[in-house]
Amino acid sequence: MDEISALMAMRSNHVVQVYDLLFDNDTPTGIIEEFISGMDLLESSEPQASIENYLRTLWQLAAGLSDIHAHGIIHRDIKPNNMKLDDEGVLKIFDFGLSRFADPDAGTVGFKGTFYFAAPELFVDGKVSFTQAVDVYAFGATACYLADKSLPSGFSKSPPDPAPADAFSSKQIGIPDELSSLFLECLAHDPVQRPSMAFVRDSIAKYLLKDKHQALAVFGNAPQYLNKSNKSVTLNLGNIGAAVIAYDGLRFYVQSVSGEVLINNSVVAANDEMPGSCVVALGAATRHYTERAFITFDISHPEVLL
Amino acid sequence: MNGPHSENDEIAGRYKIESFIGEGGMQYVYNAQDMLLARNVALKTPKNPSAEKRFRRSAVVASKVNHPNVAKTLDYVEYEDRAYLVEELIVGADLDKAIVDKTSCVDPYLAARIMHNLSKGLAASHHAGVVHRDLKPTNIMVSGGFQTESIKITDFGIAKMAEEELAQAAENETLTGTQTAIGALPYMAPEAIATPREVTVAADVWSLGAMMYELLAGEKPFGSGLIAVSRIMSNQKPQFPAFITGNAQFSPLASSLIDIILECLSFDQNDRPTADEIVEKCSFLCYPTKERRIGTVIETGFRYGFISDQGERIFFHYDSIYGGRPAQGSSVMLSKYPGGGSWRAHPVVKLP
Repeated sequence: MDEISALMAMRSNHVVQVYDLLFDNDTPTGIIEEFISGMDLLESSEPQASIENYLRTLWQLAAGLSDIHAHGIIHRDIKPNNMKLDDEGVLKIFDFGLSRFADPDAGTVGFKGTFYFAAPELFVDGKVSFTQAVDVYAFGATACYLADKSLPSGFSKSPPDPAPADAFSSKQIGIPDELSSLFLECLAHDPVQRPSMAFVRDSIAKYLLKDKHQALAVFGNAPQYLNKSNKSVTLNLGNIGAAVIAYDGLRFYVQSVSGEVLINNSVVAANDEMPGSCVVALGAATRHYTERAFITFDISHPEVLL
Repeated sequence: MNGPHSENDEIAGRYKIESFIGEGGMQYVYNAQDMLLARNVALKTPKNPSAEKRFRRSAVVASKVNHPNVAKTLDYVEYEDRAYLVEELIVGADLDKAIVDKTSCVDPYLAARIMHNLSKGLAASHHAGVVHRDLKPTNIMVSGGFQTESIKITDFGIAKMAEEELAQAAENETLTGTQTAIGALPYMAPEAIATPREVTVAADVWSLGAMMYELLAGEKPFGSGLIAVSRIMSNQKPQFPAFITGNAQFSPLASSLIDIILECLSFDQNDRPTADEIVEKCSFLCYPTKERRIGTVIETGFRYGFISDQGERIFFHYDSIYGGRPAQGSSVMLSKYPGGGSWRAHPVVKLP
C-alpha cells in the first residue's frame, strides 16, 4: 500500500491516472486506472515513423522516469509493453506492480523483471539490491528497441551481454552522435556509470529543438533574425570593433571577434556561447557614446509542449 | 467556510473537506482530501442542488477530455441529495486572479506561452468532441503565478450546465439577472449570442482570441457588460493599441500573435482557424520561458534604470519595457539574465 500511496502523490503527465482501489475486506484486490486506447509501444509503429517521433517519444519517457525518480520511486519494469501514446500523443507509463521506494534496502529475493530490459545487477542469486539505475538501463534497452523494433541478441542472456558499441549509431533512423553515446551509457553494466533520467531528458530536448532556435538582434530600431536559414550576422562599427555571431543548430556563439567588443560588459573570445539575453557593445566604455553602438541579442526557441 | 460544507465534513466515505477554495456562478469549490488515494482534490458541488441532472451530464462530458492542459475529472458522486464533481486539484489561481488582475498588460513572450498552452488544451477537447462554450479567464487555472508552471482549462462540465442559463440570458432582453452570463459576455462569440443553442467548436476559438487580446492589450476587445454585445455583433475588428507593436524588441512576436488573434475573432465562424491550426502556428513561435520575477524600480535615468529584486540590483534598458514605463517605486515583472557586473532584466512589465 505504501507504493500505491506514493504513486497517488506523484504528479506526472506521463504516469497513468489511478481512479479507484477495490478491497475485499481490508485486502486490496484491484486498481481502477485511466483507460488508454491503442497499442502499447511494443506493437505501435509510431516511434519508428521518423527521427522526430522517435526522439519525442524518448523525451517523454525520460521526462516520466525523471518525475518517478524525483518522487523516490523505482519502476523496475520499464519496457515497451508498459507504455502507450494516448490519443493526444502523450506517453503514459503504467504497470507499477514491481515498483519500490528507492532506499538503501531496496531489494528482492531472486530475479524479477523482464529479459532484454532488466539490468545486469538484477541477475544474481539470493538477495538482489538495486537502485533507480535499473530504470535507466531499461530506458536504454527501450530506446534501442524503439529505433527499429530490434534488440541485440546478447540482451536475452542472463545476465545480458554488454551492449555493442554501435547499438545506437548503427540504427537506420539516424540518432544524433551525442545521443547515441548517451543512450549507450544508459546501458553501462556498472549502474554508477549510467546518467540520470533528468540529464537524458534535457539532452534529448536539445535535439528536439535542433535548427529551430531563433535569435533577435536589434541594432538601432531594426530587428534582424538569426536562425537556420540565416546562420550568421556581422556586427561592425567602423574600425572600432567587429564580431560575427553564428548559429550551429544547437547554440549561438561568437565565431570571430576583432577590436573592442563587449558582451554584457565583458570581453569576449571566439567560440564563446551567447547568453540567452544580452547586449553587445561595439566600442570600449572609455569612448564617447557617439563612438559606441549597442545591439540587443535575445535567444528563444519554440516551446515543446505535450 | 462558505457553501453547504464545513471543515472535516466527509462525503461518500471518501472525501474529507479541508478548505473552501471559492465559488463560481454555478458552484462551490472545496479543497478535499481523497482518503482512499491519499491525495488532495478539487470537490465541486452545484449551488442549486436541483441542477443535479445537468451536473451529472456535465461530469460525463468533462471526463472525456484527457490532456495536461485540461483539469482532469476524477470522479462524480451523489451523496445525501447533493452531486459532487471531483477534479484534479490545481494549486494556484484562475487566470484573472493570477495574471490579468496583477498586470496592466502581458508581454508577448508570456502571452505566446499562454496561448500555446490553451490552444493545446482546446485542441484536445475538440478532438474529443467537447465544446467548452464558456471559455473565460475565470475558467482557466494557473499554478505558479507569472511563472505559469501549469495552465489548465477547467469547468467544461459547468459550461454544459451553464448552457441553459447562457441561452436563456442571450435570448432574453434583460441580461442583468444572470451572473454567469455577465462574466462570459466579453468573451462570447457573435453566434453564441445570436443563436446560443447552436454553438460549435468555433465559438471556443473566438473566446480564446478574446482572452488573448485582453492579455496583450490590457483591456477587453469589446469592452465589458452589455456594451460588449453591440460591439461583438457589429462585425468590426477590434483595434490593437499602438504600444503592442511600438517596440522593435517585441514587435515581430506581437505581430504574429495579433494575426492569430484577429483570425480567431473573425465574425464568420468559418473564417476562424481550428484549435489544431492555432497549435500549429504557436508551435513555430519563438519565446523565452525564462523564470519570471517581481521587483521594484529603485533608480531611473534617461535611457535606463535599476530594479531591486530581493536585494539584488538589476539593470534595465527602456527598450526592454513592454507597455507603460515604470517610475521609481513601481513594481515590475521581469526575467533576469547574467549581465556582467549587475544582472540585466528583459522583458520588464510595469505592474499596477
